[in-house]
Amino acid sequence: MRKIKFLAQVDVDTCIGCGACQTLCPTEAARVVEKKAQVDESKCVACPNCSDFCPVDAITMVPRAEPRIVYLDYSRVDPDKITELCRKANLHPHQWGCMCNGTRVREVAAAVLLGAKTLEEIALMTGIRSGCTAYCVHHMLRLLKAHGVEVEEPKNHRWYNSIQTIWETPKEVEEKYPGHFFEEDRKIFRKF
Amino acid sequence: MQARTQDITAPFIRKSKYGPEIRERAFDLPEIESLNIRDLFPDTPETIFREGGDISVIRKATEEALKTVNMDMIKEGDTVNLLCSQYGFQLMGGDAYAEVLRATKDVIERRTGCKNIRLRVATGFRIREPEEIIKHYELDKYFNGAARGVTCLDKGVPIETDIGTLYGMAAIYDSDWIVHVHHGELRELDMHRMINRATKPFAMSYARMETRSIAHIGFGPRSENFVQKVIFDSPFVQSKYTFGCFLMTSPAGITGVEADNDLDAVDRRMLLFNIRPYGKIRQILSKIDECIVILDGAGEPRYMLGGGISFGNFTEAELDLFDLNVIPVSLGYNLFEKPAGSTAKSVNPAIKALVINHMWLGVPQMELPGHIPTIVVGREMEEVIERDPMNSMFMDYAVTAENLKAAVKFAKKITGLDKIMVFDGAFGYMHVSPSLAEYLLKVAPEVSREVEEELLPKWLEQRGIDPSSL
Repeated sequence: MRKIKFLAQVDVDTCIGCGACQTLCPTEAARVVEKKAQVDESKCVACPNCSDFCPVDAITMVPRAEPRIVYLDYSRVDPDKITELCRKANLHPHQWGCMCNGTRVREVAAAVLLGAKTLEEIALMTGIRSGCTAYCVHHMLRLLKAHGVEVEEPKNHRWYNSIQTIWETPKEVEEKYPGHFFEEDRKIFRKF
Repeated sequence: MQARTQDITAPFIRKSKYGPEIRERAFDLPEIESLNIRDLFPDTPETIFREGGDISVIRKATEEALKTVNMDMIKEGDTVNLLCSQYGFQLMGGDAYAEVLRATKDVIERRTGCKNIRLRVATGFRIREPEEIIKHYELDKYFNGAARGVTCLDKGVPIETDIGTLYGMAAIYDSDWIVHVHHGELRELDMHRMINRATKPFAMSYARMETRSIAHIGFGPRSENFVQKVIFDSPFVQSKYTFGCFLMTSPAGITGVEADNDLDAVDRRMLLFNIRPYGKIRQILSKIDECIVILDGAGEPRYMLGGGISFGNFTEAELDLFDLNVIPVSLGYNLFEKPAGSTAKSVNPAIKALVINHMWLGVPQMELPGHIPTIVVGREMEEVIERDPMNSMFMDYAVTAENLKAAVKFAKKITGLDKIMVFDGAFGYMHVSPSLAEYLLKVAPEVSREVEEELLPKWLEQRGIDPSSL
């Protein structure tokens, strides 16, 4: 669950329309329209990317009048289907999907099963990708892939489709790198 | 315990937008004393530098270490990126790490004639911290305007490896050559496990967020350290790599500088040098069964140092994470063990209360107020935390005291304890209450024996090293 207490606010006089905010916004709330950045209040999850990366400091995070709660009630989805999708993705439902706001993988899986097809949609449904915006990308991509959803990598560097795991590491590579506990670590994940 | 001498001062906290103004320090509390690490473990390696010391010894040590390094690959007209990571600047005020960088630049210039040497300061999630670092240590001047920060959200560069395409940071690798300047402080033992420690930044600091995730989430509690090796060994990285230069530490302070073209050799030396002193300090933390902790330093809680070891290592002190058969609870590995409805990552139950006097943002740490009565000192510190998107509900579970004395009094009241340990960035000394100092001095000899006779041989054998070679 994510309690969103702040909102990105653009100083349009300072904004130079470079698009850095648009590139890095995890929910596509920030967009450049007619050479000026705009922020969709309904989509902003108050991660600090836009304000941190703005080269001219045109964006500040201001308190919202009322915090917005973003939470996906995963009980809406058949728990067996959640488990099945997680198994396919080699993820545990209780695992952290987002450590920043305590969202578990089961919520992300539920979002995918409810029809989310992009990282941005999952973020808007669950509140994931609203903190560091970094580590949660991995879970989302694995679950989308396991559900058969083809993702299109953005043209900019918002994220790259790179999700290697211990499960696909070729045997010959493991043999080339002895002493890295591949099978022992797989056993930990197999306890699920 | 000896009375405090004049050369023992509160560790430096650099001013940062990620923390509050620096105010009263826990070091100055009447109930806090300075316990010399060497009083606990006399065999702790000698240091060449401690905070506030003569910085010229660092330059000399760097120049000496670089004498045997091959730099023939660097030609006069080439470009070189000197790579460094933000955490090095949290060690003893950061001056030593900054001096290693300056000295390395100078040696490269002198020996190769190459003047196009740029600095790349890699960071985690404090996006503006590299700017602060570059300004504070005047590195922009030293590197002739060619110093810049690099974050894991910046543009990536594909690196073809034995496990497919991983992503480094474009600005890390946008030169003919790279020089890896790092440090040997223990840091996150729960993640690196002293496996390929020397190359870790290649999957962390120097890597895109997707690649960092692959290491932390795509692989397991030991195998994650394969990722940095597979990146480092890639043709792309090897085509640019020159040498590594490391600021070496023990819990007592800086012990020297190591440099080599062969990073495996540095890794092995680092392991052999560090495992005993850090093993003992970590093990003695595991003997503390109850205490109050005060956080009062630069950086985020997990990496804040006390007695030369990080608070993160104390939050998991009940697990011997030098033992490769032990699985850490960080990153949620324990969640694979528990049934449905399991709770958040557990924290060492010995920590009965947490007082946060000064910390920086930068890492999700919800497990702290979720498991430990947490008292934040001052409205400004509270507001800093409130604004942190990585800890958006932290203050829902913590309380705020007006000042440090009030916070400590409250912590003592609710715990019934007067054993206090401060994590404030200190090396060489643990800043503790007298009762905790007395306890630590009492258990130290047995800890030393336990490590020497039982644990160290096991740790080394697990890593393929003959214990007699130490």
